[in-house]
Amino acid sequence: MMRKLSVALFVTLFAVCSGAAQAAAAPSQIKIGTLYAASGNFAAISMPVHRGLQLWVDQKNAEGGVFVKPYNKKIPIKLIAYDDQSNTATAATLYNQLITQDKVDILVSDSGSPLTSVAVPIARDHKMLLIDQTGTGAAFFTKDNPYIVLMSDPVSSIWPKYIADFLTQDGPKLGIKRIALLYATNDFTGTQANAVRGFIKAAKAPVEIVYDQGVPTTTTSYTVIINNIRAANPDAVITLGFPNNDISYLRNLQDSGVKFKWQFNIYPGLETEGLKKTVGAKGLEYIFTYVPSSVIEYKPEFGMSLPQFRDAWHKKYTDDKVEFGFNSVAGYTTGLVLENALKATASMEQLALRKAIFSLSGKLKTIDGTFELDETGAQIGEITPLGQIVPEGKDELKFVVVYPHDKASGKPVYPAK
Amino acid sequence: MLEYSLLAGLVFGLYFCLVGLGLNLVFGVMRIVNLAHGDFLMLGAFGAFWLFNLSGLNPVWSVFIMLAVFTALGLPLYYLLVPRLQRAKDPEMLSIILFFGLSQVIEALATIVFGPSERSIPGRVFGSGPVSLLGQSLPAAWIASAIASGVAVLFIYLYLYRTRLGYLTRAVMVHREEALATGIDVDRVSAIAFGIGIALAAIAGVFAPFMLGSVTPAMGPDINIQSFAVIVVGSLGNPLGTILGGIVYGISLAFMQSYFSSWANLLPYVLLIFILLVRPSGLLGRQVRSA
Repeated sequence: MMRKLSVALFVTLFAVCSGAAQAAAAPSQIKIGTLYAASGNFAAISMPVHRGLQLWVDQKNAEGGVFVKPYNKKIPIKLIAYDDQSNTATAATLYNQLITQDKVDILVSDSGSPLTSVAVPIARDHKMLLIDQTGTGAAFFTKDNPYIVLMSDPVSSIWPKYIADFLTQDGPKLGIKRIALLYATNDFTGTQANAVRGFIKAAKAPVEIVYDQGVPTTTTSYTVIINNIRAANPDAVITLGFPNNDISYLRNLQDSGVKFKWQFNIYPGLETEGLKKTVGAKGLEYIFTYVPSSVIEYKPEFGMSLPQFRDAWHKKYTDDKVEFGFNSVAGYTTGLVLENALKATASMEQLALRKAIFSLSGKLKTIDGTFELDETGAQIGEITPLGQIVPEGKDELKFVVVYPHDKASGKPVYPAK
Repeated sequence: MLEYSLLAGLVFGLYFCLVGLGLNLVFGVMRIVNLAHGDFLMLGAFGAFWLFNLSGLNPVWSVFIMLAVFTALGLPLYYLLVPRLQRAKDPEMLSIILFFGLSQVIEALATIVFGPSERSIPGRVFGSGPVSLLGQSLPAAWIASAIASGVAVLFIYLYLYRTRLGYLTRAVMVHREEALATGIDVDRVSAIAFGIGIALAAIAGVFAPFMLGSVTPAMGPDINIQSFAVIVVGSLGNPLGTILGGIVYGISLAFMQSYFSSWANLLPYVLLIFILLVRPSGLLGRQVRSA
């Protein structure tokens, strides 16, 4: 009798202790550390991404947290975010702070390649997996660095593929033979410019690059450059820059009365609302651009659809200081990938998280398209088609997807009106 | 290409006269370095943007509003900051620190009020299409800002050389202590010059959306660097030397963009180093200023 009682007591004590141990092992919060730029040159691309991520965090916390497989329970998220003011030196200090002082469980970079570039070596040195939101510079991704994964944008080395394919395959039929390439000299657009050159050369099509110049990312006046491009007499002009570059370029183009037959810019597609306010609808007419997930409605198998997300965004952010656009979707997509990774990971170890994220590759379909990684962690899914902005009614614009053909919703207007 | 670069550089340079003019006036009169100059320009830009969005007010009218508002703002700001600085041992050095702090405060407040995104005013307010000048097409807004710059330079010239207040201002510029000893109300003269200086920055800001494409609360420091290049090239402390500085800067920038476009952002620094090494008093300076 005494022996049975002792065994029962032991079993009860063991159960109580192991339960307590399990509860102690589960943290009260999952700490996600990130940076954002509330001011400075990159604020316009950083704040929408940060707000997109914040929206996901608030949604999950309202539901009691995010499910974390190693603890078999929902755990609230604590988002630790610092303002790097668009300064890479400040960003480097703050990334270190997030890792060594705040001891975050997950490290998420600021938006864009310049502010991600400083995080790549820091994360690697500390063996922290860098959740790279939109830093697409190809140099970040190497086979010997397992501590980085790109969430929401295709890597810059493949992003402009459809531009080059259109120009080399459909271009000659339209009469496009001479191409001008103007790019801002930073990781994001510099890599895309290299990729464009490479794709065009590899295609061996009857097109040639007749103007190829880089300009500093801080460039604010393009009138002289536009005149120089015109002197090269191109049939198509590819301009690769950040929002400030695209705004200045398109305004100068409009003000100088020059009209190129085929003009590509990145941000009329990525940040349409912002560009419409600064350049005006007229200045965006017939511009070719990427048609991102803030415009094309993918059928998500996880998370909100585009209309639902847009509604949630406008309901949460009523101040109108940060425009809705592709970068908003990008921040939210980061959250969705993290949610799925935490649901699948075997442990909270950094390489286990990486393995969990890689297990989603090719399977996770979100508002941003199909999430797919190559072996280096670079995003090769979520690739954006080439489209053209055409007028629709008074001061209204619509996107026509022109390439690839299987996704096309109309024919390109060439030469532009 | 050459002719266009020359002409566009000249017109763009005239705008940079306006950008640097106020900074040079303040330095010339008070021997203080207003590192918040670019932020006052930014405030002028946002003022014009706000007025345009609120009431559709043409930026030409905003020029007069900014002139009145910022001159009025400059007077109390002068009495709040500058006399204390002038009593310090090294007012020039302290002014750098103080106005850097002011610049940070202005940028932070502007970000809170206006948000970090790019803002602009449609170019059509100066008429649709470009203007033909000497056989070359230039944006109408460029011509408008060059005219505004010319008017501002004329105004400063008349103020300095044709008014009693201008004579007193020039006396303060030559030697502050001697001017004080002769009974000139140095603080009053300086306060007015300070008000005019930041008003000129705000007027340059009205044209910034057209000349620079868009404006953000963070644009101040970049403008400061360009302004310093302009005034150092012309002549530090000589407001009218800014004309030459602006034109040299504008034409150099246009040529850099045409022939070495990737390196164009180095221009202000290269000009600064070159002038400080070769002719520290600036192109129109007579001698090295003793601080």
